[in-house]
Amino acid sequence: MTDVAVEAIEPPLAEPRPRVSATLSDDAQLVAACCRGEARAMEMLYHQFKRRVFSMANRIVGPSDAEEVAQEAFVRVFRGLPSFRGDSQLSTWIYRLTVNASLSHLARRSRRQEVGDEGLADVAAPPEPERDPGLAARIESALQRLPPGYRAILVLHDVEGLSHEECASILECRVGTCKSQLHKARARMRELLGAIGDRA
Amino acid sequence: MTCEDTQRELTSYLDGELDVDRGRAVRGHLRGCAPCRTAAHSESILRDGLRSLPTLDPPAPLWSGVRRRLAEAEVADARRPRWRRVVAGWGRPVRGLGLALGGVAIAMGIAVWHAMERQMERQQGQPTVAVLSSVPVVDRSPCSSGEPHDVALALASEPTCVTEAYAAAAADLMRTAHGQRAQWDNDRRARFDAQLDKVRRDVEVAPEGRPRQSAYRAMIRFLQRVTTRDGMLADARGVR
Repeated sequence: MTDVAVEAIEPPLAEPRPRVSATLSDDAQLVAACCRGEARAMEMLYHQFKRRVFSMANRIVGPSDAEEVAQEAFVRVFRGLPSFRGDSQLSTWIYRLTVNASLSHLARRSRRQEVGDEGLADVAAPPEPERDPGLAARIESALQRLPPGYRAILVLHDVEGLSHEECASILECRVGTCKSQLHKARARMRELLGAIGDRA
Repeated sequence: MTCEDTQRELTSYLDGELDVDRGRAVRGHLRGCAPCRTAAHSESILRDGLRSLPTLDPPAPLWSGVRRRLAEAEVADARRPRWRRVVAGWGRPVRGLGLALGGVAIAMGIAVWHAMERQMERQQGQPTVAVLSSVPVVDRSPCSSGEPHDVALALASEPTCVTEAYAAAAADLMRTAHGQRAQWDNDRRARFDAQLDKVRRDVEVAPEGRPRQSAYRAMIRFLQRVTTRDGMLADARGVR
């Protein structure tokens, strides 16, 4: 057993998971102001979540429909704010609406049989050196080839860094289901990506 | 620990979610198994690659699009009837509760209606099917011959029996009314006789079955009113 192998199998150090910066009371004030129709509050909420919502929509439905889905998600957010009771964090609730809007969009697109895999042809890649300069692009492409459920859990947990509990709350499933789905999603991604990180 | 066990635990292991013992077992297997080690390394790179994907900036028109759609939705809201806006304003639990209460109210309404209908049948002296079928020995039918009767036959003869029962009740009341009639003054007798003639005619001209039963019931109500003390007093005071 070599030192290299030992180093390679050590689990990575835990990284800080991104959390919502606003406290619950800030959220409550923001929600109340939005419900009163205050334009500044609505804009503030939009700017607070626009990048996360757009990124999530982009990675679940793909770049071509991301803007439409993000727009739909924000409309659902602002229209649904009066019914937000604060049972979960505002961010969790917004991500849930975003994921739901994205999955609904995918379902509609699937019914219309307009699933476009164009531009995703060159995903299966030959073995690459460890530092793959195109890895991010290949991961983005491979994401689009995953089934929507796997895509959602990967985006929420691995890309957005949410905990299993938060993912389970957003996807309205059990934590155990969330973990097993993540495991399957990562395995499927590895298949799609080929032998990434193979050491020569 | 087998390769299969390791593969199953790999995601949790790499996320640092396994307890010390299980983590050590996975690590021990990985040290000695090159394919699993490769898989772990590959997944680790994938995980890091996913985590390092950049957060994307939305296109500039996104916010204006959201505002436009919100404005359109508000216009559509304003055109909706008031009750739909009120219902839409209720939360999902309130809407569910409202539906549940509505269901309970409908069920209670149906139950009360059935109960009232049954009571009316009883008041009209109509034996229910349950009585006929479950109490064959104690026959309350006015057509009773004292023998154990056939349910189907009883059902078939029910209209006739009910009419006969009404006729018998009316005859009893008539006898009572005639007994009291002797004590009335002439005006009252005249009024009684005129009214009695009318209800009698109604009975005679009514077709067999329910119409005749209805006419008998009207006659019985009239005779009951006349023969009961309160009714007489009320009549004497000119209330009726």
